[in-house]
Amino acid sequence: MLADSIRNVMARVFGVELVCIGDNASPGNIEQWDSLRHMNLVLALEDEFNVRFPDDQVEQLISFPLIELSLRELLPVADGAGT
Amino acid sequence: MRALRYADILSRNRELAAGAVGKTYRIALLSNIVVNQLADVLEYALRSRGLHAEVTCGDYDNFVQDSIRFKAFDAAIIFWEPANIIDGLHVQAESMKPADLAALAGRVEQEMALTLENLREVPLLLFNGFSALLFERDNLRTGLLQQLCDRLNAVLRSALAGHHVVVDINKVLAGVGLSAAADFRQFQSSKALYSIDFLKDYAEHVAPAMFAATGRMRKVLVLDCDNTLWGGVLGEDGEAQIQMGTASRAGRIFREVQHILKGFQSQGVMLALCSKNNTADVNQVLSSHPDMVLRDVDLVAKKVNWLDKATNLRALAAELNVGLDSLVFVDDSAFELGLVSEALPQVTCIQVPTALSEYPGVVRALAREFFALSRTDEDLHKTEMYRDEQARSQAKERIGSLEDYLRSLELVVRISWNAAVPLDRAAQLTQKTNQFNLTTRRYTEGDMKRMLEDPHFVVASIDVADRYGGYGVTGLAILSIETGGEAARVDTLLMSCRIIGRHIEQVFFDGLVQKLRSLGVGRLHAEYLRTAKNAQVSDFYGTLGLSPRSVELERHTYELTLSDHRGSFINYIEVTEHVG
Repeated sequence: MLADSIRNVMARVFGVELVCIGDNASPGNIEQWDSLRHMNLVLALEDEFNVRFPDDQVEQLISFPLIELSLRELLPVADGAGT
Repeated sequence: MRALRYADILSRNRELAAGAVGKTYRIALLSNIVVNQLADVLEYALRSRGLHAEVTCGDYDNFVQDSIRFKAFDAAIIFWEPANIIDGLHVQAESMKPADLAALAGRVEQEMALTLENLREVPLLLFNGFSALLFERDNLRTGLLQQLCDRLNAVLRSALAGHHVVVDINKVLAGVGLSAAADFRQFQSSKALYSIDFLKDYAEHVAPAMFAATGRMRKVLVLDCDNTLWGGVLGEDGEAQIQMGTASRAGRIFREVQHILKGFQSQGVMLALCSKNNTADVNQVLSSHPDMVLRDVDLVAKKVNWLDKATNLRALAAELNVGLDSLVFVDDSAFELGLVSEALPQVTCIQVPTALSEYPGVVRALAREFFALSRTDEDLHKTEMYRDEQARSQAKERIGSLEDYLRSLELVVRISWNAAVPLDRAAQLTQKTNQFNLTTRRYTEGDMKRMLEDPHFVVASIDVADRYGGYGVTGLAILSIETGGEAARVDTLLMSCRIIGRHIEQVFFDGLVQKLRSLGVGRLHAEYLRTAKNAQVSDFYGTLGLSPRSVELERHTYELTLSDHRGSFINYIEVTEHVG
């Protein structure tokens, strides 16, 4: 499931337990999500899903729902279809 | 490391950091470009091989100040990005006046000199060479930015001290590919330029310097012989047929590999052999085969015998007085490499690629494993020194847990009887098998057919498989039953060298005994007929518990009362039967 895979990447990047990545995870409720780790997160998501976020999106991926939405647009339908 | 996802690198690096003990190897990262992600990636590359490294990033574009701050570190890496010497130099250089460019170069040279001076006591300094390749790939001429880089590189090289390594960053860029190496999305906003793939490759490229600085480099390159140093199997094909000459494609490839190995040896890498072969045969090739590039004097040690390779590698390490983690072992057989990596996980195992044309490249890449920061006179004479040392002391050969390994293989031996035996393959085995062959009687397909149809013969073949796959029909026995049916004689017993060393011969023999007993046979006669190739089985029947009747040089005879046969009690090989 895409949401789980995203959660997984986020947990590994921030070094927190999976349960800490809630449905509304954002820099506001995850202490480790600072500007440097935001870059790490973007790069890790790209590496994981083999996608490339458009230039203007990179700085806007600042919540779990936004990341999921953005990845769904980038991933081929078959891969992103799971909910 | 390219196969490992960045998120995995981050989490595994965190785990390795938590479990680390002992002294921390402190690395400073100085840069005028944002390469913070390199810290985790490089730490992981080093920690995963036991070097507890910690990378500290300097302040952005603050080389001189940073160099004072980091002067007591164990290592420093300097990422001095020409595009960022001043903001946007990569686009401005072409329109700048020569005098302005020269002034700029002068300023950088001064800062470089100060930085190097401040870092003079850091034991290992990696300084990236200057390169404009990312920005000048489409320019047929050398652009002004690259000219500036060339000037700075010349200064850098002249300032080079023994503990400096200039990292040719173009090699890393080429490996990743220019398009994949740069990520311009963050270049304007946060001065990040390099992609994660680039940083992964960069970390792997420079890691050998850190391993060398901390005594972790490999020392001995251990080589199998058949299909590793030459094409073909010496014991089967014979000295005249093995290939490492210019007469065939395969021969040229093995020859090329031998030249690369010889080059390694000249640079201080110790070479050794570990091969299942007759010692005398290999020595003969080493001393007089006209196509050999490597000779006996190029080798520090040889383990040419019929013991398992883990035992031999352990003995080699003890004999040369190096750790097992100093060994790199090259072999063509997945079985042998599997045995070694199971028993000795510290040894780096390399398999000869199936696509032989890739073999020289694989060997060349091993240079990384043997990287040394400097070559002393002693290094260059290492082979001689070790050969002397070896003459002084003799190491005992140790037996490891071969049985555990064999158990893990999940071996299955299928015995096919009489009509189920494939005629053509059976005949071929009698013609081709030299080493594990008790009587070396050669038969044609016609001969085989006659014996299969004759009720006085029991013919059995085996095919062997393990969890890695099948080996095909690789063993054959021909038993003749004497008139009256009370006694039988082993006419032929052979196995292909591909399956030797797995105790298969023992369960095969058990199966033969069982079969004869079921036919009411009480006694078995067996013999070993000596040839130039089959020394390894000279006492095969003795080790199985048969009683020797006569032992002459050319012929040993044995006898067994079948009801006395105790069997091998091997429970880790599954035996099935196939009756045609």
